[in-house]
Amino acid sequence: MGRLRATYGASPLHALAVIASFAVAGYGFLRIAESPSALGTFIWFAAAIFAHDLLAFPFYSTLNLIAHRSLVKPSDEWLETRRVPAINHLRVPTILSAVSFVIFFPLILGLSSTKYMEYTGQSADVFLGRWLGICGALFLGSALIYAIRLRRAGGSPGEPEPTGS
Amino acid sequence: MKLRPPQLPEEPPPGPTRPGFWRSPLRGPWLTSLLGSALLPLVIVCAVTGFLSQAAYDPSLGGNSLLPRGGLGIDIYFFSWPTSPAFLYALTQGLHVTTGLIAIPLLLAKLWSVMPKLFEWPPVRSIAHLLERASLALLVGGSLFVFLTGLLNIQLYYPWPFRFLTAHYYGSFVFLAAFALHVGLKLPTVLRSFRERGVLRPLRADLRHTAAEPYREGTTAPLEPEAPTMSRRTLIATVGAASVGAGFMGAAQAIGGPLRSLGLLAPHSTQVSDGPNGFQINKTAESVGIEPSQTGRGWRLKLAGQSRAELTRDQLLAMPQRTYDLPIACVEGWSTTQAWTGVRLRDLAAAVGVDDTDQVVVESLQSAGALRKVTLSSGQVADERSLLALRVNGADLSPDHGYPARVIVPGAPGVHCTKWVSSMQFEAA
Repeated sequence: MGRLRATYGASPLHALAVIASFAVAGYGFLRIAESPSALGTFIWFAAAIFAHDLLAFPFYSTLNLIAHRSLVKPSDEWLETRRVPAINHLRVPTILSAVSFVIFFPLILGLSSTKYMEYTGQSADVFLGRWLGICGALFLGSALIYAIRLRRAGGSPGEPEPTGS
Repeated sequence: MKLRPPQLPEEPPPGPTRPGFWRSPLRGPWLTSLLGSALLPLVIVCAVTGFLSQAAYDPSLGGNSLLPRGGLGIDIYFFSWPTSPAFLYALTQGLHVTTGLIAIPLLLAKLWSVMPKLFEWPPVRSIAHLLERASLALLVGGSLFVFLTGLLNIQLYYPWPFRFLTAHYYGSFVFLAAFALHVGLKLPTVLRSFRERGVLRPLRADLRHTAAEPYREGTTAPLEPEAPTMSRRTLIATVGAASVGAGFMGAAQAIGGPLRSLGLLAPHSTQVSDGPNGFQINKTAESVGIEPSQTGRGWRLKLAGQSRAELTRDQLLAMPQRTYDLPIACVEGWSTTQAWTGVRLRDLAAAVGVDDTDQVVVESLQSAGALRKVTLSSGQVADERSLLALRVNGADLSPDHGYPARVIVPGAPGVHCTKWVSSMQFEAA
């Protein structure tokens, strides 16, 4: 038992669980391999990992970094000098708009508009306007909340807080 | 045995493999545990309703199974899909699509939270570690693949070379196998995180009181955290809002009624037109090549059983008519309940001398498509609400809703409610 652990790097139960999991996953792969466009399916499978981990993640992290660098002071005392941080009033509506785009981009961009019209008898043109409307409402709402918070904090962004309280 | 190839240095190279590279103070085992715990029930419901959707097609009957032949036989279900409650498939498939939509923002947040793990150093520590990482590739690839194919399918967008159903169905075997292993292996970490920090306690901290989880080697807690700019509760509230919003779109088109038009981005969120036939269409008559000449005065319903019969639409209208409120529930997760009027299927069976139907093969006028011909079970024919509908909401069916006649069966998937019916072949038990 001790030798297996040393050779394998984990408990025998771990090995059994891994084998069971790979067996079921292997069955799924096997059935896909038997289908007419197996190669295309596997390419999409691998491309999904690549697109998320090496394209989407670095892309949105960089955007966040740019926002962070331009809106947040490098010192640790920024919290004291800016009681109302602007960055989240930008981040939250951006995240919500972006996620709704990621989920519904085929309709928003009209990528399937011909098929959509043919199948459902309706035009897919409405979705771009609706999505823009949702984005507008999110950013406007966020800006309003920011304005209210600034007013409550009794100053404008960047203005040092009165001391001695 | 340590699997550490000699050419790899002990010290990670500069960049994302160094623990100091990852600065977010919010990343850590607790955050990942919370997101994972939220995903677990969603994935379970989504998976169960997904397999139920396959069962709803009664795949053991006739040519109903849309999956390729072969396999281990585990794709065959050993029960006949029930007809009660009538909203059964609207419920299961509405849940399938809605839970999938709710899960997507949580999945993206969870992937963000564990991203340092992709670059951990050394890349491989042992055989067990190598296998675990291979399984994680299946988990990430499988989840992205299954959710993406599902998402694009409900929006009728097919940019890929493969058949959606085969890829989505068998891709989910890969995803769920890796998911189950992941849950099993990570359960101790989740429990420890919750024990140490409380399940929800870190959400009480506002920005001023937000601190990074203590660094521990091999976890995602940061070695050199930056000052927080967002509290954990703001992050969770944002992800939660995205999930609630996406789920609402799904629920709006599944529940219908006044809620439908509020599901702004949902694919079936608008009424096609006013009037009795104005409700949502899955496939128009034109899209499947139905010509007006096929559905005019020359149309006959061909019935076969112990005897044969050919009925005109007027003859069908002269038979006893029944009206029921029944949903059309699409595999794409939307549904709509309407008042259908027509002849009971069992009356049609009796008209050709079949009192006890084993199954009926229903054929459509449409010339192509996997579902131009479906087999309904004995239970579906026996239910007195199962109709060959001629009218809807007091008006004749429109061409797009299946004129001259369509099947409507309670609890069944919409694609089993064949439109533009041309023949029905009843087999006696």
